[in-house]
Amino acid sequence: MLLLEILLTLGTTVVQYVGILVVVTAAYVKQQQQQSVSQRRERVSSPAPPTTSTSSSTSSSAEKVSNAPPDRLGTPPPSFDYTSPFIMATPVESSQPLAEMQSQQSSSSSPGAAAGANASAKPAKPQQSQPAKQQPQQQQSQSKGKDAAAAGGDGAALSPAELKKKAKAEKAARRARERAEREQSGGGAGGAAPVGGQSAAGGKKGASGPGGAGAGGKDASGAATPQKGGHQKQQPRRGSAQATGQPSAAELKKKQEEKNVSVFGHLYGQQRRTTIAGAGKEVHPAVLALGMQMRDYVVCGSSARCVATLLAFKRVIEAYTTPLGTSLARHLTTHLSHQITYLSTCRPLSISQGNAIRALKLAISSIDPSVPEATAKASLCDFIDSFIREKITVADQVIAGSAAQKIQDGDVIVTFAGSSIVKQTLLAAHKEGKQFRVSIIDSRPLFEGKNLARTLANAGLDVQYSLMNGISHAIKDATKVFLGAHAMTSNGRLYSRVGTALVAMSAKERAGGVEVPVIVCCETVKFTDRVALDSIVVNEIADADELVTVEPVQQLTGLPDPAAQPAVEPKKGGKASSAPVETSTAAQSKSSPLEDWKESANLQLLNIMYDVTPAEYVDMVVTEMGSLPPSAVPIVHRMSTNM
Amino acid sequence: MAAPTSGSSAAAKPFDIVATYNDLLRSDPDLTMPIAAIEALVLLLTNSPSSTISETLDLLEKSTAHLKQSIPNPIGLSAGTDLFQRYLITTLQRPGQLGPAGDFNAIRAHLLSNGRLFIRRAKESRDKIAAFGRGFVRDGSTVLTNGGSRVVASLLQKAADEKGGPSAVRFNVIYVLSSAKGTGAHSDEPEGMETVRALRAKGVPVATIPESAVAYSMGKADTVIVGAEGVVENGGIVSRMGTYQIGLLAKAMGKPFYVVAESHKFVRLYPLSQYDLPIEQRVIDFKTEEDVADEAKQQQALSTDAAVAKAVKTADSADVVDFTPPHLISALITDSGVLTPSAVSEELIKIWF
Repeated sequence: MLLLEILLTLGTTVVQYVGILVVVTAAYVKQQQQQSVSQRRERVSSPAPPTTSTSSSTSSSAEKVSNAPPDRLGTPPPSFDYTSPFIMATPVESSQPLAEMQSQQSSSSSPGAAAGANASAKPAKPQQSQPAKQQPQQQQSQSKGKDAAAAGGDGAALSPAELKKKAKAEKAARRARERAEREQSGGGAGGAAPVGGQSAAGGKKGASGPGGAGAGGKDASGAATPQKGGHQKQQPRRGSAQATGQPSAAELKKKQEEKNVSVFGHLYGQQRRTTIAGAGKEVHPAVLALGMQMRDYVVCGSSARCVATLLAFKRVIEAYTTPLGTSLARHLTTHLSHQITYLSTCRPLSISQGNAIRALKLAISSIDPSVPEATAKASLCDFIDSFIREKITVADQVIAGSAAQKIQDGDVIVTFAGSSIVKQTLLAAHKEGKQFRVSIIDSRPLFEGKNLARTLANAGLDVQYSLMNGISHAIKDATKVFLGAHAMTSNGRLYSRVGTALVAMSAKERAGGVEVPVIVCCETVKFTDRVALDSIVVNEIADADELVTVEPVQQLTGLPDPAAQPAVEPKKGGKASSAPVETSTAAQSKSSPLEDWKESANLQLLNIMYDVTPAEYVDMVVTEMGSLPPSAVPIVHRMSTNM
Repeated sequence: MAAPTSGSSAAAKPFDIVATYNDLLRSDPDLTMPIAAIEALVLLLTNSPSSTISETLDLLEKSTAHLKQSIPNPIGLSAGTDLFQRYLITTLQRPGQLGPAGDFNAIRAHLLSNGRLFIRRAKESRDKIAAFGRGFVRDGSTVLTNGGSRVVASLLQKAADEKGGPSAVRFNVIYVLSSAKGTGAHSDEPEGMETVRALRAKGVPVATIPESAVAYSMGKADTVIVGAEGVVENGGIVSRMGTYQIGLLAKAMGKPFYVVAESHKFVRLYPLSQYDLPIEQRVIDFKTEEDVADEAKQQQALSTDAAVAKAVKTADSADVVDFTPPHLISALITDSGVLTPSAVSEELIKIWF
């Protein structure tokens, strides 16, 4: 009985022992694993019967989750009840189905959004499982700790050759485990990944292995659910095998740091929030929703984020009542700063958001305390509306109108990624009947240009779409370059989506041709008095895992992956009922060579968001206050803020 | 008072803004295009019967558009008209006696007197510029210049003034004479010849060279000073054809390139390249033998209009302009100080907002 117990709880450890003694094939390991997994799941769920084990219920809730996010821009979708963490936190049967669904639903099919969405769902998983589940888990880890110690003792007694063998077997077991987890699509089988001391015993889990992440998240939030916010700090580090045991925490942190590109080390800071759990109770549901949407790039782009933030704040103000003993002018600012803090943990605030918030705070603080609350709130809402109208909506129309004047018949306009203002400009010029061609250059991982390409093509424009790799070709017959902006700095430099500088410079330095004018369309709300000399000091780093995800490729032929062979073999476990062929193809198409980048030494991934284009490469900045050379940015900024 | 005037002017002699503008330019050789435009507009308002603000603005807008259309190169002109319009609007919006609440006749009188003041000031600005720019002409230096810019002429003459006096500057001038004929009294000689004579009379050694010798002579020059028809928002200038190439050559040889222009020549225009100017110029005109023959035949057919056609043609070739981008310009010497090209947009924004 005791033996069975150990086998059940520490399936993989046992497998490793077996590996030392016998020559274990990967398939065998996997089988073992699977059995132990299914058995253990039963055991885990037995104290709390109505939990996660059924796959049908989980998949339906997964659909529910995936229904919500593709709602692009602006108003939070009403269908998605953000107030209930339980819907948000439903276990997802697999990361794959969700990702697929998402990419089908959202037309942009940005992998970043998909990855973000499933990542946000992942760690939240255990919240559905009852706290009762905790107990067995603790038992498990205790007994496992014992066992691990025993294993350590054993290891000491082994000869070097045996040690080598053991290491090999461990590696094989780990691989097999990961694959198994991927196939049986982790549903409830988050538990499949050994918990607790296991990783200390040598098995480091795959960074993007869903099971691994699930297990990590489980521990963290499992602990967090009863005592709110205790463990929150750890949660954002999704995807790694964190929270597996107290002693390894420091080591893991060090490991995490090693994965940071040292030049950009100062930018890493805290990672983006992955869940709304732990947000302060002051944070309004609309803001909660918006935070998640911005985090997942559902609301993306400087202007869109600014508008969405202001609209959310409008709802906050509408729902706000001044507590007794304070005045609205004093308290509302602090109330808003809670919302702002939350938003900035989801994704660092954009320059435009910062400017808008500053203006709003100024408006709040200038409210006369004697004004009745209802009036004050109404005037603030009016202020927000007029701010959006003046600084963004109408400004965009003015910019589009005047920038479109610069487009002439026969032009070939090159643009980068998907700026909404450039889109408006091109559409305005098209509406005026100008005959021109558009060449869109796009890049991974956000593929913002896809949306633009589709919109323009639907409007009847002649569109060419290429990725950054084809820039020298795309720029060859360009006559003008139109760029959007995230911000314009005080020294006239353009701070925009990473890759913009490359496009601007290619246009300027085009070999053997006339200079191509580079035109930036930018509202003055995006001007900042900050100065950027390079793109290193100020920038934003997104999750490097966004670079890992691959687009599903329709590959018909290819070398069979020897490691993937066992995966095709039919399984006998409870989960094996799904068609094996299907799972194998899914596994093949989804696996990326970078998948376990966190495990491989000497490999760092950098997913930077912005870059800085020197002012020399920008010919003209079109703003709602007129066309300016980049050197006039600080003057206009000063004037527009003083007014 | 207003009604009879309108009746008489409508019946007898409708005010022709284009003719007035041309007359003004012809009568006063020192007058620049923007100032002539403003003066014409002031005259228009004096003669017009308008009695409300919106009527005035509407009239102004219509005649401005008409004037712009009938002049082949309205860039310099539009600087003046835009400025005047802007001035009118800001004056009318100002609260107080002269604002929308005040008596319109008083407003009009004020506007007109201020318009005249503006014109006088603009004429004075040339002296101001000469005072600023004198420092750029050094003792023993050689200045290369071109065209028939009156500001450049006044600057050089000011520098050469007081011959033999303590403040006189001894300098040489290389004057680039274009092949285009001038429009002044001596219409058969190249534009700028008058300035050359004036300078020589003051004892300044002047060498005249054709445009093709600019590169050859640039090595002997220390500074380049040119005039401008309009200063555009990015700090570049729209100027007589040939200025761009002088700018390029000066840049290539590392010589400072200064532009002399009054601040009323600042235009709200942002050309991105030579071909982005809002005017139609037929400088590059591809032809085959056939086209030439066709044209000749047409001209023979219209032999009666030959003189007119010729006049139009010469006006065209004298009026062509090019655009010198800001990165070729070292500094702009204006009546509001010596500016870098990037400061122009600041000045413009100050005027407009």
